[in-house]
Parts: sequence; structure tokens; C-alpha cells
Amino acid sequence: MGPLSRDVWAQRLGAFRASPSAFMAGPEAEDLGRDLLGDLRSEKLSEQTKVSLLALSLEYPAQLWPDASAAEVAATSLLDTLVLLPPRPSALRRPLLLAATTALAVGGALGPTSGASCRLLPLLLGLAAGSDLGRGFVPASEQRPLQATACECLRELESCKPGLLGGSLGLLRGLLGQEGPVQPLSLLLSLALRNTLVLQSRAGAGLGALLTARVSPTGGGPWDWTLVEEGDGRLQPQAPSWPVAEEGEGERSLTAREHSPEEARELRAAVAQLLDTSYLLTPVAQAQLLWLLGWALRGLQGQPPALFKPQLVRLLGTAQLTLLHAVLALKAAFGEALFTAQDETLLLRRLTLAAQHPALPLSTHLFYLHCLLSFPENCPLGPEGEEAAPLLLGPQLCRGLLPSLLHEPMALLARLHLLCLLCAEDEEEEEKGQLPSPGHYLEELLAGLWQRAALEGGPRALATLCFQGSYLVAHCLAGQPTVLTPLIHGLAQLYRARPMLAPHFVDLLDHVDPELREPLKVVLRQEVVSRPGRDEALCWHLQMLARVADGDAQSATLNFLRAAAAHCTSWDLQQGLLQVCRALLRAGVGGGLVDLLQVLARQLEDPDGRDHARLYYILLAHLAGPKLGVALGPSLAAPALASSLVAENQGFVAALMVQEAPALIRLSVGSHEVKGPLPVLQLLPEALEPIYSLELRFRVEGQLYAPLGAVRVPYLCPGRPARPLLLPLQPRRPAPTRLDVHALYTTSTGLTCHVHLPPLFVNFADLFLPFPQPPEGAGLGFFEELWDSCLPEGAESRVWCPLGPQGLEGLVSRHLEPFVVVAQPPTSYYVAIHLPPDSKLLLRLEAALADGVPVALRTDDWAVLPLVGDYLRGLAAAV
Amino acid sequence: MAQRAVWLISHEPGTPLRGTVRFSRRYPTVEKRARVFNRASYVPIPEDGPFLKALLFELRLLDDDKDFVESRDSCSRINKTSIYGLLVGGEELWPVVAFLKNDMIYACVPLVEQTLSPRPPLISVSGVSQGFELLYGIQDFLYSGQKNDNELNTKLSQLPDLLLQACPFGTVLDANLQNSLDNTNFASVTQPQKQPAWKPGTYKGKPQVSISITEKVKSMQYDKQGVADTWQVVGTVTCKCDLEGIMPNVTISLSLPTNGSPLQDILVHPCVTSLDSAILTSSSIDAMDDSAFSGPYKFPFTPPLESFNLCYYTSQVPVPPILGFYQMKEEEVQLRITINLKLHESVKNNFEFCEAHIPFFNRGPITHLEYKTSFGQLEVFREKSLLIWIIGQKFPKSMEISLSGTVTFGAKNHEKQPFDPICVGETAYLKLHFRILDYTLTGCYADQHSVQVFASGKPKISAYRKLISSDYYIWNSKAPAPVTYGSLLL
Repeated sequence: MGPLSRDVWAQRLGAFRASPSAFMAGPEAEDLGRDLLGDLRSEKLSEQTKVSLLALSLEYPAQLWPDASAAEVAATSLLDTLVLLPPRPSALRRPLLLAATTALAVGGALGPTSGASCRLLPLLLGLAAGSDLGRGFVPASEQRPLQATACECLRELESCKPGLLGGSLGLLRGLLGQEGPVQPLSLLLSLALRNTLVLQSRAGAGLGALLTARVSPTGGGPWDWTLVEEGDGRLQPQAPSWPVAEEGEGERSLTAREHSPEEARELRAAVAQLLDTSYLLTPVAQAQLLWLLGWALRGLQGQPPALFKPQLVRLLGTAQLTLLHAVLALKAAFGEALFTAQDETLLLRRLTLAAQHPALPLSTHLFYLHCLLSFPENCPLGPEGEEAAPLLLGPQLCRGLLPSLLHEPMALLARLHLLCLLCAEDEEEEEKGQLPSPGHYLEELLAGLWQRAALEGGPRALATLCFQGSYLVAHCLAGQPTVLTPLIHGLAQLYRARPMLAPHFVDLLDHVDPELREPLKVVLRQEVVSRPGRDEALCWHLQMLARVADGDAQSATLNFLRAAAAHCTSWDLQQGLLQVCRALLRAGVGGGLVDLLQVLARQLEDPDGRDHARLYYILLAHLAGPKLGVALGPSLAAPALASSLVAENQGFVAALMVQEAPALIRLSVGSHEVKGPLPVLQLLPEALEPIYSLELRFRVEGQLYAPLGAVRVPYLCPGRPARPLLLPLQPRRPAPTRLDVHALYTTSTGLTCHVHLPPLFVNFADLFLPFPQPPEGAGLGFFEELWDSCLPEGAESRVWCPLGPQGLEGLVSRHLEPFVVVAQPPTSYYVAIHLPPDSKLLLRLEAALADGVPVALRTDDWAVLPLVGDYLRGLAAAV
Repeated sequence: MAQRAVWLISHEPGTPLRGTVRFSRRYPTVEKRARVFNRASYVPIPEDGPFLKALLFELRLLDDDKDFVESRDSCSRINKTSIYGLLVGGEELWPVVAFLKNDMIYACVPLVEQTLSPRPPLISVSGVSQGFELLYGIQDFLYSGQKNDNELNTKLSQLPDLLLQACPFGTVLDANLQNSLDNTNFASVTQPQKQPAWKPGTYKGKPQVSISITEKVKSMQYDKQGVADTWQVVGTVTCKCDLEGIMPNVTISLSLPTNGSPLQDILVHPCVTSLDSAILTSSSIDAMDDSAFSGPYKFPFTPPLESFNLCYYTSQVPVPPILGFYQMKEEEVQLRITINLKLHESVKNNFEFCEAHIPFFNRGPITHLEYKTSFGQLEVFREKSLLIWIIGQKFPKSMEISLSGTVTFGAKNHEKQPFDPICVGETAYLKLHFRILDYTLTGCYADQHSVQVFASGKPKISAYRKLISSDYYIWNSKAPAPVTYGSLLL
């Protein structure tokens, strides 16, 4: 296929970008990567189109070349395209280098055995070093930009394979000192240095040599696969991204390797070299340099962080977010070693003023405010990881950072948080001065928030903001009655003014601590039940009451509901009403509620409502408290977003309906015991968890037996042996069968579960019953009589019964003992077996040989003959 | 330090999706690192469609807030920074740096070089400030000198190429995209060594230095017992230095007259090479006293090519330039208003323009107006429920002017009249808009003779000054008004 036209490509790229996953699922997906590589060499396409193709490969290499081999092929092709470019300026060289680098790094093909890697790395290093690559490979005008690009590519490869450039440190230093472009080389060197210091502390390679050697001391090229290998070839978070000065020994050991004085001097010189020219870097690049060097030197012995000091004053004066952030990182990394107490104060003050400076945008203010509350103090007091006002940040310093109603929501919340922290301290210290009390200001601010949320027609965002503010205050100042009392009062007033905010109140109650929740519930309940019950906002009141109703103030609540019931004419109001009833049921309210539910079950217009009311009534009348609680409790099965009705439904399903559950019991058949007129199966139940009210139900396959009754056990506990359960069988034919077993039980959480257990087998021998014992001495006559009665209707047979080592005597005593009528041990036994319902089986075991005994048998039911044969032949094997 | 992806999304209220992704760029090498660093907590970057939807929801821009939605409205979902967690495909993508400006949403996802659970504090993520700086840079590029949609579209179409220069692998090399554009243009020039990365080329031509000081004055006036009026000056010094040589050195000194108000809270451009500690420490946080440093404020720097903000400052002048009171009373069906404005005698009485905007919120259109004014003209915008008192170029000799009258309103139309949560009932304000050229309230000026330039040729130096009002509010003293903590400090 020939190259695609520009328009076709534009269309294809557009379709891909609109949804890469959809495109890749389509028919064109397979060819895209190949077409792209091919058309890069087409002479018909313009450079601009090719750049857009390369741009795509820079963003989506994983989709174009999904595995390492495809990536290797792609990188090779890209490098070929690069080499084949005519020796004139071209816009393609830069993106080709970037694309080859991206393909190798993303595809996981980068490595010492990859051909493309072995071509790309020397090329990049040569370009970065400004070497002459011959044959007009790089036109003079592109030399400088390509040199920078090569550095960027190397930096990206070093980022993905830390340690790769460990052998090139000396070379890079040399380039930086001479003619090289400052920023790309500085960033590359600082990254390689940082990675080497981390890895080398594990590997033990000599840093001094690395820093000074112009070619790799390890040989085999300036890139160092050995260091990469030692880094396990994998990316590791090389240090916590927030370098903390005080840290555990384990972490410190990473970088604690001592350097010789000479190595330390070289390292210091390299760092100083980087810092001295750092002002030539763009602000964002300066910040990266500082983070990297901060990481690199943190915890290194013999490397005083004072090297950074000359930069600090310059950095502290700027308005640049990245620079101040980098200074904070240095502060966190070196603490007192770099920042004296005065320095710390100055930094804090600069941060405070930056957090409110009118010349900076809001998002910068907010980030600085976050930095203030996470400020890495020299001597932190509070718990780690929680936002707190630094010790030095008193009300005086903060006064410009306090919230006002005019602020945007995020600014208001961030500043409100600070105000709360100040109030918490204020409470402790009670040190006033001339400043107005923060607590008092907080009260006024909250009042303003409530007032705004109460406005008729106001947007939901205002209400949300108000409740977020209230939550924040409750969360930060939970233990302070001076704050909570007005908070409760204010919220109650807000509810009075705008009951439609009920969902926000319910949400707030769900999230606040009991210190606020319980008193707020009481107040809100009073707010609702003191109303006449006939109100435009009835649906909100009902929603509210469903959350706050409990066992207290029952009569007021029930009065309200009775009054409200008359006005609940629509389906949703009735459901709201029933929700409250449900809450009361759960809270264990009895008496008056029964009457109300009865009334509702009769009066409600909606049949669904009546049904629900009746159901609740029945539940209340029939279920004991704990079961009722479980029946109406929130269902874990309900998805979070389901409506309350669905949730309720699921609650019932969970609690009242029987659950299909994994088996919590095991059932086995015990030894055969012969007692009474019917064969009885002895069952041994075993529980894995405590279970209650176990009922076992059995079903016989076919109609062989009469239906079996259920067996009930009140309680089963794991580890405690249960009494065997006896299951009488009533065979209609003397035949073995399989019992289907179902178990129903209640778990300790009150759920009723159903489980289908593995089937139980009733064996032929399980049906054997003895004949009544004849009087002493009359055995033989009794047997002969039975023997003769079998014919002519019955059947006679002879079966060879193999004997094990136990011999005939052992076999009989083990299996046939209860049925022996005449015994002449050890040679002759006459056995008579009653097979319910009314068959007999007679066996004569005589003249045993070493390995078996011939058995003469008669039965009045010829259908059992094959069963008897199987039984006898299997006896020897049966244990 | 790197970014995993960057987006530009235009916010389009009223359209089905409420927005369009105008630009997006992903960085797969960074993504690969994210997968390793974040381990089990890794959440991949979504495609543009799902990202757009999740972001607009999180920023409350889907304008469907009729019902309470827990995942958005819950009291415990508190965002205190412009950094969000977005629910995409059941997982939470965090941290997403995003902000809305001029109907454009700027967003990026910085790489976090560790696991995300537990969430590390934002301060520890170096990519966050880098991301902000990149987004601010894109914003500056899109809106500097941009006048219409066509220009915006042109600039948007340049973004892919520019980011290929400024952020080829997700690590930002230069947040100033103009530099990247110039870099492409300067590419043919062989750059000498030790060229600053923030200066893509060198200037050739007549040397000149232009310094312009713009002061904005804001104020909150209440005319009330127990509540203090507040006002503040915010200054911006903008420079354009056209000087030959790689690194010409320039020192600009800002001076104050003898009774001038000291400059505080000074923030400088990163090209400033050193700062006097007095400049660094002079801050509005401290109580003012006579010992405050009052200049001259020296700023030695090496200028970039383009126009730049050399420094910002604030200042606390002793009196507001215009002191006023506003009284508004509801009288049955009409409002009675009385306004009095007085220009301070020390202020230059020569305005480019001066207007008082008197808006009436949460009311219907103006149906009837009777008024009397001592000076200027009154314009009525009936449908907007707004009066504009045009004061003109000069206050009268008495320096004091007044306006009084009654206003009647028609029925409120909720569609046309947006709800204002602050100005409810009699809570109301008037806002002053004015501009005075060749004047600063602090008295701050750049003395042309004190500008030192160490470069070849003697440059032409020009200096400009102006004062602009900004957020200059006078609240109705007859009703409650929102106060700041500062207003309570009497």
C-alpha cells in the first residue's frame, strides 16, 4: 500500500485521539503503528504532517507498539529514518530523537542487548557532547537545539533506568564546565548525580573516580548497565519524595555511606558548580535542580548544606511557586542545619505573605496556605502528617489569612480551617492582647454562612459551603462547648428557616462526632415535632425525622406523625412517613406505634403504603427486638447509591428472606446402629460458626422411601461435639438411595440462611434390621423355618464372599453380628436379616477357605439379589 | 517533578457536555514511572471524554445542582486547594491540579514518586508546583495580548509544538511558552555559551529601558461604629529592557517622596540577582512604625527579552483616596439612597475617568427613579438594575460630591437577574472605578537618573505611572455588611 495522503492521516489521527481505545478496537488498529513508521519516510508527506505523526507516537507508543519487540523494531525504524534525513535543516530530527527514546523507554526494550538502545545511546551522548558525528549529520543551525534535546532524552532514560549514566558523570561535568548548554546539562548531571549517590551507596563504586573520569571507569561505554542492574533494573522510590530531616535509621542507611575526603571534595565541587550557574536556568528548572540536589545531599556525611545558603535570599524574594516550594523541600531535608531559627521565621513570614499577596492568583494562595499548615518546622510539636498551624504562626501573623464571606468557597474553607486551628490554640492559651478573639470572629462568620444558606432561592453550592464549614468547625473544635452550643443553635435556626436542606443535615449527622451529633439530633427533632404536621415542607420534615427519631420523646414524635398522616396524600410523602415509622421500629418504640401503624395500614391511599404499614405492623407484633433491628437495619448488600426504598428492600431480603449462603455446616453419616422397628441413619453435624435454629430437610430420590421428616437442632457451636442426630427411614422398597439435604439456619447476626448440602448416601446395609431374637436353643429351627418360607416365590443363590486377613469370624463380628441367629464359631454362621418394609434375607456362611467363604442365600424378594451380591463381595474391602 | 498529562478544556455552559477538550498531552514515559512508583494505588490516566466529565462534575460546572448529591455535596468532601481527586471508572485519580480562568479549565496530573496510599501531603509532591507553573505559563501565553477567539485558536494550535519544546517528556523546562516560541525563531542564531535558558536570544537595536508602575487601590468602607474601613495599595512594576549583549546588568531604584508610604510585601522576578534584607523583611504583617524602611528600593537584575513584572508590592497609605458613605433605606415600595464622596486633598485631582457603579441585586428592573446630584451625570441601566454615576475627570473645588434619590423596581425575573448571596435585603454597596495617570498613591516613582545600565550604549529610559481602582467598595452603612477580620482591628 502506498503512503496515505495528508488528509487521510489527519482524519485517522483525529479518530484515534477522539478515543484511542475505540480506535484500537477497530479494524485500522493493527496497521497504524506500521503505517506511521513507513510514512515517515514518504516523500509525499510534508514535514508538518510527519511531525504530527511523531507527536502521536510520543503520546501513545504503548498502543502503537505494545510489546518490547515491537518497540525495538519501531525505535530501529525511527533511528533509520533519522540517519536517512538529507543533510539540511529539518524539523524532524528533534521529534525523531524524542520518539525513539520514548518508544524504547515505554516499550521496555531499553537494555544492553537491544540493538536500538546500543545505537541510540552513543548517538545521544555524541550529540550531547557536541561531537562531530560526520557526514553533515547535524546541520550547524541545529547543533545547539539537538544538543539540548539529546540531554533531555538522556535525562528521560536516566529517569526510567536510574544509574544508567553513572559512568558519565565526569564527562557531563566536563561539558558543563566548557561550552555545553547550561540548563540541559545541569539538569542531566544533577539527576545522574542523585541517582548515582543513591545506588552507589548500595553498590560501593568509587564516587571520586566517577566524578572526574572523562570516560567510564567501568569500561564498555559511558553508560553503566551494572549500576542499573544493581538498582534491580527497576524504579524504586529512591527516597521519600518529601525529604525529611529526621528519619529512621533504615532510611538513613541508604545514603549514609561515608566518602573519602577527596571524594567529598569532588562532590562538593560538582554541587557548587551546579548551584553557581543555577541562575541561568529557568525558574522551574532551578526548582528541579534544588529538589534533586537536596535529595542527593540529604544525610550525606561531610556535605554541609551551607552550599545552598547563597541561593536562599535570592529565592525567598521571588513570587515563583516552584522556587518557594523547592526552598521548603530544602527546609524539610536539612532543617536546622540550613535554616536557623531566624531563617525559619523569615521563611514562615514570606510564606504567610505569599499566601495572601494580592498580586498572586487564588490557586497559588491556597497551595501556600496548605504549605503553611504542613510547614516543616525545625522543632515540630504536633502529630506528624496532620495539618496544624506552626508554632510561630500566631494570630498576629495570621490576621490577613482569616476568612470572610467574600472569599471564594475553597479560600473560605482553607482559611476557616486556619481560624479553627487558631481557636483551638486560643482556648488553650487565653492570651488575648488587642486582637479580637478568633472564637468570636468564628461565631460571626458561621452566622453569616448560615444566613446565606438560609436564603430562599440560593444555589445549592451555598448550602454545601455552609455545611462544609460547619463540619470543619465541628471536626476541629469537637471538644469545645463554647463553640458547639452556638453551632447547634445556629444549625437549628437554619433548619427552621429552610427545611429543604434536610439532606444536608442528614449528611452532616452522618459525619460528625457524637459530641455534636447527639445534641444536634435532639434539637432538630424538637424543631420538627413542634410543628403542626401540616406544612409545605412536610417531606423534608419526614426525611429529617427518619434520621433523628429514636426512643426519646416518643409521644411528641407520634403525635406529629399522626397529625402528618392526614396530609400524606402522595406516594412519596407516605413513603417518607413510613420511613419514620421504620426508624422508630428500629429504635424499639412499641406502644403508640402499633396503633399508628394499624391506622396507616387501613387509611393510606396508596396500596404500597398500606402494605408497608401492615408489614411493619406484623414485624412489630411478631419479631423480638434484636431480630427487628436486624430486619430493618441498613443492608450491606445495598449499593451506596440505591434509594432508601431499594435499600430497605434489600434490608428485608437480607433479614427476613432466606439467604443463599455458603455452607457453615458439614454433615456426615455415623456408624450403623440397629435399634427399634425402623432403620435409623445416624447424622453427625459439625458447625464452622455458631448457628441457631438449624433445620435439616431431606428429600429421597424417587419414591423409594416415605417422605422424611425434618431434623431440628437449636444451637450448634464449632469445636463442641454435637449429639448425633437420628433420622428414621421408612423404605418402601429395600433399596439404597441418595438423600438430598437442605439446611436452614440463623447466623449470630440474625440472618436466616439456606444452604444446599452435599447429598447423603443410604447404603443397602443401613437398612438391615434383626428379626426378633428366638428363645434360647430355638435358633436353628427359627432359621430353618425362615429359610424354607422363602421359596418358591423368592430366590436362592450362592455367592463367593472374599475374606480378608480377619477371617470369617472377624468379618461376621464386624458386619453381621446383630443378625446372627445360629453361630458355630469359627466355621459356620446362619444370619437372618429383616429388610424393611417386609422382606427377608437369609445367609449361610459355612466351610470357609483361606481366601473366601461360599455364602448360600435365600430371600423372598428376588430384586435384592444383585444388591446382596455387591454387598457380600464388598465386605472384605470394607473396613 | 514530571507531569503525567496536561489538558485545556473550554467551559461551555449550556452545551450538552458543558465543555470541550481543546488540548491534551500525555507523557507515556512518566506514566510508566507512575505505574512503578504508585504500585497498587496506581490509577491510569483516563481518556479525554471520561476525564472531562469527571472534572466538570468535581468543579461543580455541570450546573445540575438541583438535588443533593453526596459525592459532590457531602459536608466532609472539603477541598481547600485547587488539587482534586477525580472519580473515574470507580477509581480516584489524584492529584489533579486544575483551575478555571476566563472560561478555560487548566488541568494536569503531576507524578507522585511514591505510593498514593496513604496519600502523601501535597507539600511533598514536587510535581504540584511544577504543574501549577506550567498551567500558569500556558494561561499567560494564551491570554497575553489575545483579543478574540481567532487569536485564541491560533495560539491553541501552536501549543503542541510549544510543549514539545517546553515540556518534551513531561518535565517542564520552561513555563514561559513565549520563550519557546522565540526559541524556534532564534534557532538560526548560534547561541554563545552561558546563555541563560530563560533568554532565547539577544536583542539587536537601539537600547531602551521602559519602567511602568501601576498601583491598584482597593478599599472596603463601612462608615460604621466598631468596624474599621480598610484600604490597600498593590503595586506592579513592569519593565521592558531592550539592551544588547548576552547578560546586560541593570539596577532600577524605586524611590518615595519624603512623606511617601513604605513599600511592603515585595515579591521580585526571579531575574533579580540580589535583594537587600530590608526589602525582604518589610512586611504588612508587622504593625507599622516610623522605622519602616522607606527606600530607595534597589533591584539589580539581568533582564529577559520580553516585558516582565520586576516586582510586586503592597502599601498602606494613611488615607483612602476617596472617602465615601452610602446610605440606603427601604421605604415601602421604593429605595431611598444617599451617597457622599470626598476626594482627599493630597490626591491628584485629574482622572482619566471616575465612576460610581450602584448596583441593586435580587430586585427587578428599575421602573422609576428620582434623583438629585451635586455633580456629574447619572446613567440608568433599567434592565440591569444598575445606576452609574459618571463623575468625570475632576472633582469640584470643594472635593466633595453627593447624590440622593429614590428608586422603584418592577417584579423580579429570576432568569435575568442572577442571585447574589451577599447583597440581600438592604445589604448593598457601590463600587468606585477610576484611573489617574502619571500618579501613584504611595508616591513611588522610578527615578530615571538612578537607573544603572551596564551595557554598551546609553539607553533611552522612560518611566510611566498610573493609579487604578480595584475592588473599591463603599457599603450601605444602614445595613449589615460582610467584614474581614482586619475591619475588626480598631
